[in-house]
Amino acid sequence: MDELNNVQAEPETVDTEVPLDKNVRLMSPTRMVVRRFFRSKLSILGLIMVVSLFLFSFVGPLLYTQWGEIELDESGKTEYAISETSYTVDGQTYTLRQTTEKYLKDNFLALPSAEHLLGTDNEGYDIFVRLMYGGRISLTVSFIAVFLITILGVILGGIAGYFGGWIDNLIMRICDVLMCLPGVPILLIISTILDASDIDAKYRIYLLMIYLTFISWTGTARLVRGQILSLREQEYMVAAEAMGYSTGRKIFKHLIPNVMPQLIVQMSLSLGSMILYEATLSYLNLGVKAPYAAWGSMINIISTNQDILQNHLNVWVPAGVCIVIAVLGFNFVGDGLRDALDPKARR
Amino acid sequence: MADTKENVTPVYDDAALAAEYQAKRQAQIEEDLKKPFDPDCLLEVRHLRKCFPMKKTFTGKVTKELVAVDDVSFKLKAGETIGIVGESGCGKTTTGRAILKLHEPTAGQIIFNGQDITHFDSKQMRSIRKEMQIIFQDPYSSLPPRDTVGGILSEPVEVHGIVPKEQVKDYVLELMDKCGLRDYYFERYPHEFSGGQRQRICIARALSVNPKLVICDEPVSALDVSIQAQIINLLKKLQREMNLAYVFISHDLSVVKFISDKILVMYLGAVMEFGTKEDIFRNPLHPYTKALFSAVPNPDPTAKTERIKLEGDIPSPANPPKGCRFHTRCPYAKEICKHVTPEYKEYGEGHFAACHLLEE
Amino acid sequence: MSIFKKEKGARNYLTNREIKEIARANAKEMKRLEAYKNRKCEESEFLTEMRDPENILEIEDLHTFFFTEQGVVKAVNGVSYDVPKNAVVGVVGESGCGKSVTSMSVMRLIQGPAGQIVDGSIRFKAYDYKRDEKGSPVANSEGGYEMEEKVYDIAKMPISEIHRIRGKQIAMIFQEPMTSLNPVFTIGEQLDEVTMIHVPGATKEMAKAKSEEMLRLVGIIPENVYGAFPHELSGGMRQRVMIAMALAAEPRLIIADEPTTALDVTIQAQILDLLQDIKNKIDGSILLITHDLGVIAEMADYVVVMYAGKVIEKGTVYEIFQDPKHPYTIGLQKSKPTMNLDDGTELYNIPGNVPNPINMPNYCYFKERCAKCTAKCSGEYPGMVQVSPTHFVACHLYDEEKSNG
Repeated sequence: MDELNNVQAEPETVDTEVPLDKNVRLMSPTRMVVRRFFRSKLSILGLIMVVSLFLFSFVGPLLYTQWGEIELDESGKTEYAISETSYTVDGQTYTLRQTTEKYLKDNFLALPSAEHLLGTDNEGYDIFVRLMYGGRISLTVSFIAVFLITILGVILGGIAGYFGGWIDNLIMRICDVLMCLPGVPILLIISTILDASDIDAKYRIYLLMIYLTFISWTGTARLVRGQILSLREQEYMVAAEAMGYSTGRKIFKHLIPNVMPQLIVQMSLSLGSMILYEATLSYLNLGVKAPYAAWGSMINIISTNQDILQNHLNVWVPAGVCIVIAVLGFNFVGDGLRDALDPKARR
Repeated sequence: MADTKENVTPVYDDAALAAEYQAKRQAQIEEDLKKPFDPDCLLEVRHLRKCFPMKKTFTGKVTKELVAVDDVSFKLKAGETIGIVGESGCGKTTTGRAILKLHEPTAGQIIFNGQDITHFDSKQMRSIRKEMQIIFQDPYSSLPPRDTVGGILSEPVEVHGIVPKEQVKDYVLELMDKCGLRDYYFERYPHEFSGGQRQRICIARALSVNPKLVICDEPVSALDVSIQAQIINLLKKLQREMNLAYVFISHDLSVVKFISDKILVMYLGAVMEFGTKEDIFRNPLHPYTKALFSAVPNPDPTAKTERIKLEGDIPSPANPPKGCRFHTRCPYAKEICKHVTPEYKEYGEGHFAACHLLEE
Repeated sequence: MSIFKKEKGARNYLTNREIKEIARANAKEMKRLEAYKNRKCEESEFLTEMRDPENILEIEDLHTFFFTEQGVVKAVNGVSYDVPKNAVVGVVGESGCGKSVTSMSVMRLIQGPAGQIVDGSIRFKAYDYKRDEKGSPVANSEGGYEMEEKVYDIAKMPISEIHRIRGKQIAMIFQEPMTSLNPVFTIGEQLDEVTMIHVPGATKEMAKAKSEEMLRLVGIIPENVYGAFPHELSGGMRQRVMIAMALAAEPRLIIADEPTTALDVTIQAQILDLLQDIKNKIDGSILLITHDLGVIAEMADYVVVMYAGKVIEKGTVYEIFQDPKHPYTIGLQKSKPTMNLDDGTELYNIPGNVPNPINMPNYCYFKERCAKCTAKCSGEYPGMVQVSPTHFVACHLYDEEKSNG
């Protein structure tokens, strides 16, 4: 055996670099993702939509200070009412037209003008300004909700996926139960409780969104769990185990970074749905209460007066457009990110 | 078994024979496990057995098991290589991972460096992890995609404190040079490399913690022929320089030949034959080993080799045949092979095999 | 890696401008080739003549490129070889050498728009329906259709006409038997389908009879397998079924792309025996693509050795294995471990890696790894040199032989 194992000659080349290799020029991973993202026109459009909404909502009020969110236009308004009375004298019909002039304190339902870019609503608030403030609420609330959902989902999904066994079973069954809860009816109940317990109108939407977080983390948790289950089978995780790394290092250094792409996509897609949720709540008058503005409650104005639905489009259409832009924008960005971050989609 | 031989037409009572065999083997195992550890050996594997649960009742009681590894024993000295050869489903990978305790062994003993590590918990294992490492088959999935080569190689060095922090980079660069990797690779990502270079990175990672034992799980199977040769030579060079012991797992006998001192042939979880490289290559005893030899296509168009043809497919390891596991495909199978499990015996110094044909 | 300072120049990435330039050039080329592929045209445009009537397939100067974001990958860069009638041609090479891309080009299975056949011709002698001016088949007096031999240039065929050759004239056996069969249909249904599609006027009974015959041909008892689903079969059995499927339409050419690579050695031996057996029974040629020299030596009559998108050597199997000329062929054979115990302990190896397929140099691609390279090798890429009537090699070492006589 010794004879066989005797070294006859040093291997000629252990270092096997080919100079050609130096010419290998690739794209850096970041650039590859950025490039793939910007290749799709829809994701560019989505990004423009989202960014402009942000600027509009957060920077807009700083620049356009003519009106405040809850500042009524008290310039006054004269309303003219024409009444007709007709009566018959000696077979002749006479019509009496009477014009009454009524002076009102607030300038409500004003048409768009230089003073009010999009007019005023039925109370006399400036619609343009309220759109900006409503956007602030919508965006902030949904960001907070998505952030909380992601944290909860990553922690619980991570624990379930990594440790498995009974704890996995427990967490997943909790998910199942939460998914059975009917969202809107419970929201109605909570809202009624909040009404009764005299909570500041400004903050009740946050409380409702916390509840939404509580029932919505299940999707993220399932995603993270599934990802971790498949990543655990990858040989580099076995290698990490064989290296004797601690559990924390394995989870946070090796697993979570590899789940990030999917998480980011999931986050941007759920931002859209959170904005819709917020709008629905406000529309049902459960969320942000008057006098504060939200896109949903701005549309809700139509329920007070049939006339507004038909004749004052400037009151409710802009808020609807904002909602559409926000949801579409986030979904486009999410889809774009999914294509950009998925290494298999190399078309 | 003596009385069965006397009968002209033996009638086999499978259950009784199985019980007899089981009892005999159990006694042997118990006796072996009590023996003192061999101080010369770096690694001693005694009657290793690994079962995976297949069916469980609602309460978690296992009702059906897959015996992935059934009774594997060998000894390995520092600087030596043992090759484990077999086809898919033969349990060679499970054996390798069970030695590292990546799978918890069901029975048997693993003695590493004079310590019985069979029942070490994960905390105790962590301290000896740096002594034993593994290299995988697939160089694509065994490197984390989001870290640079430098990061991948310095992480274990830092975690195990192999060298002081300020020397880590120099240490890693030296290691990369040893494994045939250029220093400017340090900042690059794994996806920029070809399979052969990735396998070099994997080797460098395994060696970064100065192990004594490396399990090589099909390290060259996914590589091209010319790259295979490079990697095998690199492994041999590193073995000489660092006095490494290898457990070299492969399905390819011709590759195993170049690197191994001893060879273990497995089939459906059980050892068929074990011996030195010379024993196995010059004098293969088991029909399965012979069939493996003749199945390898010969790169010489003029040579007309007579093949030992193996009929049929490899049975499922979940449901291995009774008696000798190989009898369903063995061209020489006899009646006894279908019923009685052959004994694993020594047929020459250090040359073991399990086959009824040899007993005559 | 926060603890180390980033070194300048450690990474060698493309700049933004270069990426944009590549993308622009690619988009233009891809659009042009895609339009060419989808055009409508007369049959006469892709009819041609064989150079040698004894051949079934002639690939000449084929270029298949992939237009990637990092640059143009010249996967097949001027490949020429012939497949004679009733012969087995083995194509051997390492991963990324373009051997599979060549065969995919023959089947026109290159995934567009990134992958395109850029240049060259693939002449295939088909036995197809006679067509009238409108392009519809001419019926004969017995109720069938008239058949005739004609030569198609597959590279010039519009993609809508490919059904004329795919599956019926040229069949393919893939590497992965696990994923090449549809898991929701039984083996019988999938086999019958081949006959139903390719034989006009075939009935269900005819198809079933044909399928059973094919299964028997590949050594399977039809009763056990005809009604089974793919997941019930082992890898070896599935590969047999794949072979049966390829044979069912009685193709003139079978392309076997690494047919035994995913199988265990003992199963591989069975499949090789089967292919040997079938080769004598059918009236057709086999194009066998593999990286395993042993498989080639056992199966092939002619061998084509490819490296980095080019053919570097071709000849009969005896010439390639007993008198290899190209340093790469020699090195490849030496670095394959044999079963012989007495051939030393160090394995011969070819140093280095296959060069990156983007930005190939204009000298011999093997120069950097070659032990015998001379000053001449830095010059332009060597042309094909004929060393015997059937043996060709692309290496400057043999240039003189040619000039001497």
